[in-house]
Amino acid sequence: MGEVESAGLLETKYSRRKFIKGVIAAGATASSAGYFIGGSGLLGAQAVPGAAERLITLTINGQQRRVDVLPNETLAMTLRYRLNLTGTKLGCDRAECGACTVLVDGVSQYGCSMLTNQVRGSSITTIEGLENPDTGELSPVQQAVIDEGGFQCAFCAPGFIMSMTAMVNENPNPTRAEAAHALSGNLCRCGDYDKILNCAMRAAELARSV
Amino acid sequence: MAIIRDMIPAFELFQPTTVEDALALMAEHGEAGWVLAGGLDSYDWFKDRIKRPEAVIDLGGIDELNGISDGQDGLEIGAMTTLTEIVRHERVRSEYMLLADAAEHVATPQIRNQGTLGGNISQDTRCWYYRSGWACYRAGGNTCYAAAPQAMNREHAITGTSRCVAVNPSDTAPALVALDAKMTVRGRRSSSVYDAEDFFIGPATDITRMTILEAGDLLTQIDIPSEWANAHFYYEKVRDRGSWDFQLVSVAAAFKTSGNTIEDARIAVNGIAPFPVRLDAVERLVIGAAVDEALAVEAGEIAIDGSRPLKHNEYKQPMTSNLVRRAVRSVA
Amino acid sequence: MAEKIIGTDIAPQDLVAKITGRAKYAEDFRADGMVFAKLLLSPMPHARVRGVDATRALAMPGVIDILRADEVRQIEGRPGEASLTDEPLYEGQPILAVAAETEEQAAAAIEAIEVDFEPLPFVLDPLDSLRPNGPNAYTGGNRFGGGEFSELKWTEADFEEIEAGRMPNGEAAVEWTKGDIDAAFSESDLVLEESIVHQSLTHHPMEPRSAMMYWENGKLHAFVSTQSAQRTKYAIAGTLNIDPEDVILVAEYCGGGFGSKISGNTHMEVPAVFSRKIGRPVMLRITRYEENYIGRARPGFQSWLKMGFLADGTCNAIDLYIVQESGPFGASDFNTAGMIADLVYTPQNMRFRGIAMYTNTPPKAAQRGPGGAQIVIMMEPILEKAARQLGLDRLEVHLKNAPDPDVGFGPRNSTLTSVHAKEALEKGAEIFDWAGKQELSGRVEGSKSTGIGIGLSPYTAGSRGYDGLMVIRPDGKLYVHQGLGNLGTHSIMDTARPAAEILNLNWDQVELVWGDSSRGMPRSSVQAGSQTTHAHSRANHAAGMDARAKVLEVAAQTLGGSPSNYDMDNGRVFRRGGGASMTFAQVAERAIELGGKYDGHELPDNIHATTVPAANMLAGQGLMGVARDNYGGSGGVYSWVAGFALVELDRETGVVDIKEYVAVTDCGTVLHPRSLEAQVLGGSVQGIGQAMTQRWVFDPKWGVPFANRLYTARPPGILDVPLDMKADALGIPDPQTPVGAKGIGEPPVGAGGAALTSAVADAMGGHCLCRTPLTPDIILAELEGLSQPFTLEQHIG
Repeated sequence: MGEVESAGLLETKYSRRKFIKGVIAAGATASSAGYFIGGSGLLGAQAVPGAAERLITLTINGQQRRVDVLPNETLAMTLRYRLNLTGTKLGCDRAECGACTVLVDGVSQYGCSMLTNQVRGSSITTIEGLENPDTGELSPVQQAVIDEGGFQCAFCAPGFIMSMTAMVNENPNPTRAEAAHALSGNLCRCGDYDKILNCAMRAAELARSV
Repeated sequence: MAIIRDMIPAFELFQPTTVEDALALMAEHGEAGWVLAGGLDSYDWFKDRIKRPEAVIDLGGIDELNGISDGQDGLEIGAMTTLTEIVRHERVRSEYMLLADAAEHVATPQIRNQGTLGGNISQDTRCWYYRSGWACYRAGGNTCYAAAPQAMNREHAITGTSRCVAVNPSDTAPALVALDAKMTVRGRRSSSVYDAEDFFIGPATDITRMTILEAGDLLTQIDIPSEWANAHFYYEKVRDRGSWDFQLVSVAAAFKTSGNTIEDARIAVNGIAPFPVRLDAVERLVIGAAVDEALAVEAGEIAIDGSRPLKHNEYKQPMTSNLVRRAVRSVA
Repeated sequence: MAEKIIGTDIAPQDLVAKITGRAKYAEDFRADGMVFAKLLLSPMPHARVRGVDATRALAMPGVIDILRADEVRQIEGRPGEASLTDEPLYEGQPILAVAAETEEQAAAAIEAIEVDFEPLPFVLDPLDSLRPNGPNAYTGGNRFGGGEFSELKWTEADFEEIEAGRMPNGEAAVEWTKGDIDAAFSESDLVLEESIVHQSLTHHPMEPRSAMMYWENGKLHAFVSTQSAQRTKYAIAGTLNIDPEDVILVAEYCGGGFGSKISGNTHMEVPAVFSRKIGRPVMLRITRYEENYIGRARPGFQSWLKMGFLADGTCNAIDLYIVQESGPFGASDFNTAGMIADLVYTPQNMRFRGIAMYTNTPPKAAQRGPGGAQIVIMMEPILEKAARQLGLDRLEVHLKNAPDPDVGFGPRNSTLTSVHAKEALEKGAEIFDWAGKQELSGRVEGSKSTGIGIGLSPYTAGSRGYDGLMVIRPDGKLYVHQGLGNLGTHSIMDTARPAAEILNLNWDQVELVWGDSSRGMPRSSVQAGSQTTHAHSRANHAAGMDARAKVLEVAAQTLGGSPSNYDMDNGRVFRRGGGASMTFAQVAERAIELGGKYDGHELPDNIHATTVPAANMLAGQGLMGVARDNYGGSGGVYSWVAGFALVELDRETGVVDIKEYVAVTDCGTVLHPRSLEAQVLGGSVQGIGQAMTQRWVFDPKWGVPFANRLYTARPPGILDVPLDMKADALGIPDPQTPVGAKGIGEPPVGAGGAALTSAVADAMGGHCLCRTPLTPDIILAELEGLSQPFTLEQHIG
């Protein structure tokens, strides 16, 4: 791919270019206990989106990642554009399609619709974190998708797989109706729902046998 | 100024850990501040760049707003309790299934995992004229586009309107009205408790708000009194799609019964007015009555007394009637 | 013997990448120094830009530059779409773009730009444009022909007919007849007349049409979302007027298109031109909001239909008039709809009239089964009504009217390569238990009534004459180069199967090369119109045969004897009856030594000019199989799907619960059963959405769309379809193609949608609502006898 970098380059570039300010509270607000994540306005700089951010640590796929984020930045943007974890897709960016679904402390949520700063203390799992980090073995849900030949265009697949992962953890023995209910926060425009449900049922079966 | 509906404009983010700090921040920032619960309604406004707070006060870190506990009389639900937690809560399910049922009808699993009860009932209307940033009454302008003769208003109100014809979009709101829930609202210096029915306001009261909350007010707790514990409940929501859809019309009802006779009743409907409508007249009709089809039919007819459809929402009259009829019928 | 490959389930080679997040879609690519572009969209449906003041924006931090309409290709003097324009023809049409270091900066810069728009008259509803003194979509008129705009208006009398619910006689753009409809209608035992509205609806693929591009050493590197790779490379080169070999196209994955990204899209030009202008890689991330506007839509119909039936259920006459809502740049769905109506119901006497009207709504384009899906969704409930009035079974009526293999249809009596519509109906009826479910038809229990319905839907499913290109390399593997797109149909993999079987290879001995034009792509069909299964199973068959012949020749030349003395299996060519043999690895090395045609240094002279550069690039790398599909054939290639649905209608709420769905297809030989099933059911689900929930809503006064979000446009979710759906295929090979396989993408949409409109009509006692989508409000209003249920307006909400 030549100049098209794979991972991390963008992040490095941004980190290098941008200055970092410590802006925790610092007497700037009435609240002594509250955290304050400052936008540029308060720092005396002109209103420059992106000019001021703070370095935070996120726990993503079991790894600590240090990253600069804006106060108004969503987790999906941080994952995709700061950490190059592009498996989390933006299908609508409005909590409607589920392509950005990630697990926050094991719970499925829309990565497009939460602030990165809200998950500083949480453990985030993305599609890139499902394989066994030591062996590279696919997770039971991923294996189930292989077994059933799941998905068509698959732009929705990472989100569905994260929802299935949450589902098998919460309800390892779902009926087909329960599985549909558990996956009802994800859209597939190819209309591959029948096969997706087959995958979900197979996923539960594999997860039970692990 | 050209319009772009993408990227959240810059703001300062505050993440207080106590209600007192949150109230102080809200007081400090006043109209320029924005209180963030689950955020699912807020991010839409932000990404559309229509609401542009300077300061966002995220309530997610305030433990005291989170969780369900046994109160002296019924349940106390922190405003930041997620809808999923309500759906799964054992006592909610065993005694107040109406609320669990309503909460489970909200949008999608991911949204229920993040969305809160307080946020769900405080969310803004989905009138598409208003949400598109048009300068309507509710947005501080001097017209209602949705009530215009040619307007697209299939999802708008048939009653309770006053200049604005938008509807309340909340699934849990009518359930809370039917359960006689009490809302604790804290300001910086005082704390008030409102009946759920009074918490939701119409445009005649204040056209820019859906609830009684004003800048500086924080909804902290929703109490479900034991009055309606284990009553006979009926909840139904009609929507176009099976998930991620607001109600066309929904009904939430609680009945105390003796055999076939209704001894007491609360019936609320949402999707037909700018607020969840408690159907007092229907309640008066059915209380003390034995349920039969004639009663159910009459209840349905009374339910839409005084309603007036717009160009594209006449269907909401029979839909409301039929849902109320079914609610009453369910007692038999 | 090598394994059987055609007709078996093999997990697609790209699946692991797709489920681990490693598959890179356009917006997943990054380049050093990449900047972000944002679009400024027109806030009104028709306007002229009088002036732009970007001074403030350009002074903002991080803002690099602005791109205006005069810097991109403009279509002058005729309806045509430019990627940026100073005369927007719909709300949401891009006016200009801004590039900045970050997306936040670019978005803020857009807001800081002042655009002076002069509002112009607009029209949303085609009938409004036809009204006397009605508005026109273009300042020059509402129709274009002979190189100029003009005005076409119907008369007051025409509109009086429309208001009275009768077919108008206004001037049509297209008209054809066959037989004698007046005589036929006079012989009909039953004549039904309906006016029908089919809504326009957006495609909304999951992946918005984002693109990232940069230039390096005079070459454009384009990372895009497209249905068709090779053809998109040429489309981009054509737009930019550059040598196609200066376009490096990367399109490994496409997150759905459904006709909206056939050879990429108009707006790819923005990052291409912008990155050339500023010397930086440009990411244009398209939002869902933007996708709603620029992402294409299926044209809606307002139509009048008169159908005549004999007592035995024979449809003896059809009179059909379609007015199409065409957006600013046109579409031809209505023409196809007329053809399909004739094909499905074989009336022998038919008149078709149609007219496509320009409107100031987002652009229209083919959407899966264009024209065909709309017409069967509209017509099936009328067949339901006719069968009921004649006291006949609908399946019987269908079987009576469905075409035989010798069918001639449309104005030119077009023929088909194969037709097994009746068998599909019969097999579907058997799986669905149509006979057994008769007693459920119309059954009312409490507030619920049950309905069953059939949707029979044909569509084009193949084309001919494309090229196959493959190389057996010295590692002994067959590399099949595909110029198709990878949008989830698996045709990249599945159409290579014939070559593997011809060469007696196991599937793990085959590597697929796709998604990157620098690796060599042969001339390919656009991945649209269900062409590829047919077109490229043939092309790869031809190239596979070429490779096979060359392998045998290389063996004979190397080991002695004649090619006919040799056979091959499992990556080895050997002398029949034992003796000398060579591995494919050795064959590849030997082919390179031999050169000439064997390693691609000499190419057949009948391959397409755009295959030649790819073949030249691969010459000398092994034994090359390269050939044009010269198998020929006569007649159109059509596949069929018969869909069957059972619904439960709640008569107190208007809500329809779809309980069962079965679909059976006639699409020839099955290459990949599980993928075929997914296409059939997935397409059916799209049809279900089309019939039941999806729509557009415009404010008629202001001309702007409101159903511009997924929750308002309402594509179906997993709870909107049955929990168990069944699909099957007849598997009867098409006799005119060597592999026997026809395409399948298009026809299931109409089958799914029509089975639903038909089943809902059944649940309503044979009452045809004659409009889509069948949302609860529409159904309830009809059941309750309200005044609002039905108008001929498009876009109502």
